[in-house]
Amino acid sequence: MKPEQAEAGTGGAIAVLLVEDDAPTCGRLRDALVGAGDFEVATAATLAEARAALKARRPRVLLTDLQLPDGHGSTLIRETRQSSPDTEIMVISILGDEESVISAITVGATGYLLKDAFPTDIAATVRELVAGHSPISASIARFIVRRTQGVAERPGIAPLNTAKLTPREIDILWGIAKGFSYAEIAGHLGLSRQTVPGHIKSIYRKLEVSTRGEAVFEALQQGLIRL
Amino acid sequence: MTDTPATKEPRTADIASWTARWGYWAGYITLQALTVLACISVLRLPLPDPAAAYLLTDAVLETGGTRQPVRLPYLLTSDPAPDTPQDFALSFDRPASERHTAWSVLVPRFIRGIEIAVDGTVILDSRRNPAASRPDRNIPEIAVIPATLLRDGPNALTIRLYAVGPLTGFLDQVYVGPDRALRPAYDGRMLLFGTLPVVFSAWQAILTVLLGVMWLKRRHEPAYGVLAIAMALGVVQAFVPPALVVQQSGFARLNAVLISSAPLEAACVLVFVIAFLGLKFPRWGWAIFAPGFLVAIIGLFGGAAMVRSTFLLLGPPTVFASLLTICAIVGWAAVTRRDGVAALFGCATTVLITFGINDMLSALDIVVDRRIQVARMSYSVMLVAIGIGLTWRFAKALNEVDSFAGRMVSLVRETEDKLRASLALEEERARAAALATERNRLMRDLHDGLGGQLVSIVALSERGAEGGRIGEAARAALKDLRLVIDAMDDIDGDLMLALGAWRERTATQLRSHGLPLEWHVRTPQGMPVHPELRPWHVIQVLRLLDEAVTNAVKHSGAGKIAVTIETIGDTAEGRRGRITVEDNGRGFAMSDFVQPGAGAPKPGRGVPNMHKRAARCGATLVIDSGPGGTTVRLDLPREFPGVEPSGG
Repeated sequence: MKPEQAEAGTGGAIAVLLVEDDAPTCGRLRDALVGAGDFEVATAATLAEARAALKARRPRVLLTDLQLPDGHGSTLIRETRQSSPDTEIMVISILGDEESVISAITVGATGYLLKDAFPTDIAATVRELVAGHSPISASIARFIVRRTQGVAERPGIAPLNTAKLTPREIDILWGIAKGFSYAEIAGHLGLSRQTVPGHIKSIYRKLEVSTRGEAVFEALQQGLIRL
Repeated sequence: MTDTPATKEPRTADIASWTARWGYWAGYITLQALTVLACISVLRLPLPDPAAAYLLTDAVLETGGTRQPVRLPYLLTSDPAPDTPQDFALSFDRPASERHTAWSVLVPRFIRGIEIAVDGTVILDSRRNPAASRPDRNIPEIAVIPATLLRDGPNALTIRLYAVGPLTGFLDQVYVGPDRALRPAYDGRMLLFGTLPVVFSAWQAILTVLLGVMWLKRRHEPAYGVLAIAMALGVVQAFVPPALVVQQSGFARLNAVLISSAPLEAACVLVFVIAFLGLKFPRWGWAIFAPGFLVAIIGLFGGAAMVRSTFLLLGPPTVFASLLTICAIVGWAAVTRRDGVAALFGCATTVLITFGINDMLSALDIVVDRRIQVARMSYSVMLVAIGIGLTWRFAKALNEVDSFAGRMVSLVRETEDKLRASLALEEERARAAALATERNRLMRDLHDGLGGQLVSIVALSERGAEGGRIGEAARAALKDLRLVIDAMDDIDGDLMLALGAWRERTATQLRSHGLPLEWHVRTPQGMPVHPELRPWHVIQVLRLLDEAVTNAVKHSGAGKIAVTIETIGDTAEGRRGRITVEDNGRGFAMSDFVQPGAGAPKPGRGVPNMHKRAARCGATLVIDSGPGGTTVRLDLPREFPGVEPSGG
């Protein structure tokens, strides 16, 4: 662990920055995390507040909504990915739909949290993420897998470059899409159960359009830039 | 005048068309009259003759031992026996000053053969010249007198005339003089009467081949075949040597037959004109060929005199009858159809008739002239007309094909445009219909789940219910919203993809109740893929499963819930998916459902709903409940129904 992260958490508690403009939701999520005991939660209701909080202190986990009063959450995610590469980023979504989750993943998020998730599930999900295990839903997996099959882009959702996914990763996504558990997938594919969540994170990372070079590559692919 | 315009108008129209009709007839007849006038003026043009200084007209005719002075041109008065020579004795002076120039004898016209002798020595026999032996060709003869035969002063010239039918023997005036003075006239006549007919015959031969090919490729148009036969007859007639030359050869009989060529040709041309103008050929019309064939048969088997008399009796009348019929038909076609080609044929026929009449008058000795036969030559005018007519029609047909193709192209383009427009309209309509259907479905789906749950939340909060129950209802509403959204995703008929997301949601829900969700997929591929699977099928199946799980959670007191997915059936057609939801709760009596709301536990409300949903999808639902738990078994159909039943 790097010094600043050791500094971020006090006594092993996980520092979380929660960015959510809806006060009841924000309170609910904070209570769920605080109630779990091992989280140290700071909250922000706007993009500006979030930037200020990030400047003051780098959290281990950033939990952010996408629709903020003064901007879009994806801006915050991208900035955080660049300024603090080790911060785990999760997007808070109402429905866990592809539009919000995939667009967050492409700018650098590696997880998502449903706003109505049960308190125990909220804490467990964040804890899992810190441990390197990204959550994924069947519908997100289905969406990614179908993109690898060349299904037409859906308007409103960021284009997805799935070229870097390995056949094994695609197999894992298929299993998740069809409702198999990690254990079942591991059994089918001859993996150990523990490695499956790691693969998910790796898949998210591959879908991210993070570096400048990749952004240029993507833009070229989409015909936005002509050399 | 009290005529109303209504009664006046048709009469005026009648008069107008009547006038127009007669106007055309008058125009056509004027045109033919002009043609006749032109023919007559052509006939009156002088033929090339040498200077009168070399003309010999006085002769003594010696025949059968009698001698009589005659004046040239001379037509035999009576038909002599074929073997009887008709000797014309003439004399001429050759001045001594002309001793060193070549002298010639020129006979511009004779019928039908001559032998020229100077001072008793024969210097020319025209019967060796096939062309000169044709009475219809007007071929002149010129002979250079060998210098050794000529004496200064008077010389004797004898011309022996051979007369062979059917035409009466004739000897034109004779010229004797220096060759250079006579030769131009001879050459001029040869060009007209020797070379031109050969050119025309060659033309006829080409037409024969063209028409024959045309007929071969277009058997349904016999006009071309008939005309080809006519042309072929003409060509053979023109190139087979005449009887006078080959008395005893095999050609003799052929020649006798060919005497019938003129009536046969005329009949063929008549048939062609009728077919060319698209008229119906009358059955008795074939009788026009009878005289020609009769002449041919008599030519084969009869004697020379008999052939001659038969030909004179049948040949010219047949030719004239054919020509007059053609004249009438093309005249009618030219006027009523405004057919330019018919008018052209009409002019050609008029030329032929005029020249034919000229020849007849001359042959019958009604008009005294120098026996120039022009009918056969004027036949070439007919050939020119036919050539033009055919080419005209061919060009017209090509133009029609072009314009037809052009019309077709534009027609096809128009139709395509229309089709595209109607297709776009149809697409638009289909899209609108699909959108409306989708909207209705979405509304019903939201109404069924989300709407009810939200109302329930309102009711709960108004009645001051505790937060937990409100939260539960709100959660159910959110869950249903996710279900509706999820079901709308395109899953390519793989229900497993929809079940995957459903498992997640259900597991989360059960976890909050402390219940584990067991999930078994018995067959590796899960369930068969249904290409016809639509979102509304998916929603019905998922809601049905939701209700089964909810019943188990709320009313059975189960400790675990298991979902099993498998494919049943062995044959490819018989394979169907099966989803089973089992719990280990206390079950319920089926009678509980018969009167919903009667008992305290009310799991039954969901059960008729579940059956309804299964029926909508064509699936079979079996609910088996007992003290050991409840089993809900859903057998999916082999094929999902295409149309959503309304209502429900």
